[in-house]
Amino acid sequence: MLSNMLLGRYIPGNSFIHQMDPRAKIISVLFFMVIVFFANHWLGYLLLILFMLSVIKIAQINIFFLFNGLKLLFFILIFTFLLHIFFTRGGTTLFEWGFIQIDSEGVITGIYITIRLVMLLIITTILTLTTSPIELTDAIENLGAPLKKIKVPMHELAMMISISLRFIPTLMDETEKIIKAQSARGSTFMTGKLKSRVNALIPIFIPLFISAFKRAEEMAVAMEVRGYKGEEGRTSYRELKWGLKDTSAIVIIILFGVMLFLVRM
Amino acid sequence: MIEINNLTYQYQVDAAKVLDNVSLSFKSGDWVSIIGHNGSGKSTLVKIMMGILEDYEGEILINGNKLTKENIANYREKFAIVFQNPDNQFVGATVEDDVAFGLENQGVAREEMVEKTEAALTAVNMLSYRRHAPARLSGGQKQRVAIAGALAMAPDVLILDEATSMLDPEGRKDILNILEDIHRERQTTLIYITHDLSEIEKSDYAVIMKDGEVLNRGSIEHIFSDTDTLIKSRLVLPYQMQISRALLKGEYVTHGELVEKL
Ligand SMILES: Nc1ncnc2c1ncn2[C@@H]1O[C@H](COP(=O)(O)OP(=O)(O)O)[C@@H](O)[C@H]1O
Ligand SMILES: [Mg+2]
Repeated sequence: MLSNMLLGRYIPGNSFIHQMDPRAKIISVLFFMVIVFFANHWLGYLLLILFMLSVIKIAQINIFFLFNGLKLLFFILIFTFLLHIFFTRGGTTLFEWGFIQIDSEGVITGIYITIRLVMLLIITTILTLTTSPIELTDAIENLGAPLKKIKVPMHELAMMISISLRFIPTLMDETEKIIKAQSARGSTFMTGKLKSRVNALIPIFIPLFISAFKRAEEMAVAMEVRGYKGEEGRTSYRELKWGLKDTSAIVIIILFGVMLFLVRM
Repeated sequence: MIEINNLTYQYQVDAAKVLDNVSLSFKSGDWVSIIGHNGSGKSTLVKIMMGILEDYEGEILINGNKLTKENIANYREKFAIVFQNPDNQFVGATVEDDVAFGLENQGVAREEMVEKTEAALTAVNMLSYRRHAPARLSGGQKQRVAIAGALAMAPDVLILDEATSMLDPEGRKDILNILEDIHRERQTTLIYITHDLSEIEKSDYAVIMKDGEVLNRGSIEHIFSDTDTLIKSRLVLPYQMQISRALLKGEYVTHGELVEKL
């Protein structure tokens, strides 16, 4: 089930969106998140949906694959929808049974709010699906550069995120190994009462922590001997290249935002 | 020329001496092997040479100049080291990022960096993996990337601290072959640390350590001819030596010579 989860996954590809500068992608997503709230009636929402479908098409993502990957999150959407149906009042009453009352306004708001949430979910998923974690970190470091003026350590933060991302698969493997070793010794965290399961987790976490600290220390030594002294005087191997595609993408998003604003009622 | 004179080191003031009056000297361009069982002080020795550990007694001279806290940074650029665990030294998100890490730290210009990175990856046969993430590489491939990261810095001295001990036999052979090429083509001084006597055949000079002391040093023939010291070092003798000891009265032979004699 977890392997189907798309949130935060990256799938390499060669589409227009894959090739965009990660900074342009982040800026576009931020704009889009604002624009979504411009829509206030059916035409606006229709345009949003059409826009999103084209983005999915351009990113060469299979739409069924996309929805399948977001399935888990649909519970949240259904919950929001129901909340609105039952609690938003106004318009004509469509249904009444005991204390339950459903108004037309509730159904409409429910639908609209759900569409907005779906839009936000899909656009962020497309961002992570088409951008490798390291590109994202580079872009965040770069866009956050002005924050360095107020002493936010953007370089260190980016370095930390990128090394952590690097270590996740290693630590996952390690966890699996420790679980196997402890199971072989008769540890039973997969079955039994909650309390005994939690207790059985301790012999997994302690070795995991000890080894993580050892790794961190060795990593620090390895970085030091390779001459790492922080950001100063450092050049970068990876390059962010802002191109025509990136400017065009941002212009298109802005034009789309203007259009949505004009169809507001 | 690297000279180590009367080096003594302990991690805590009242703890046992991890290095006890160690004196050694290596010629530039030599392939030097340092052999000793676990805990004999090999890693401590190289950590002192790399300036990671300070407050030692004795001195280290590089081409006659004494290593100090002030000048260690300059020498460090000429020394590169590959450690035992491939996972704990992979800094970059991809193979090429990792190789470029040391160059980035030196502030090398981008075009030059790309050139050097590609050359280093070619030297270890990993160029086609340049965009791979570390999680998708074998241990041997990760160590090759680590060696490329060291080579990219064009070091005078390349130290390998049990860099093959976590690899399968295939991976070990690959690394040793790559080192042989590097040693031949670049005249880099190699300091090869291991606890496996069967890995030192290619070296010009070998040092046997035990409990922080140097037990023996010299050419490979000299090391293997002094069987008593080898046994004292508690190292596992290479299989052909065990056979030769049993059958041929202790003469040192290589694998090929053994086959011939038998
Ligand atoms: N950080 C440390 N603190 C205290 N003692 C250490 C530390 N690192 C190593 N030692 C001790 O120093 C001795 C030599 O270790 P080391 O140089 O790692 O040996 P080798 O690399 O030959 O296996 C060992 O007894 C070890 O327990
Ligand atoms: Mg060691």
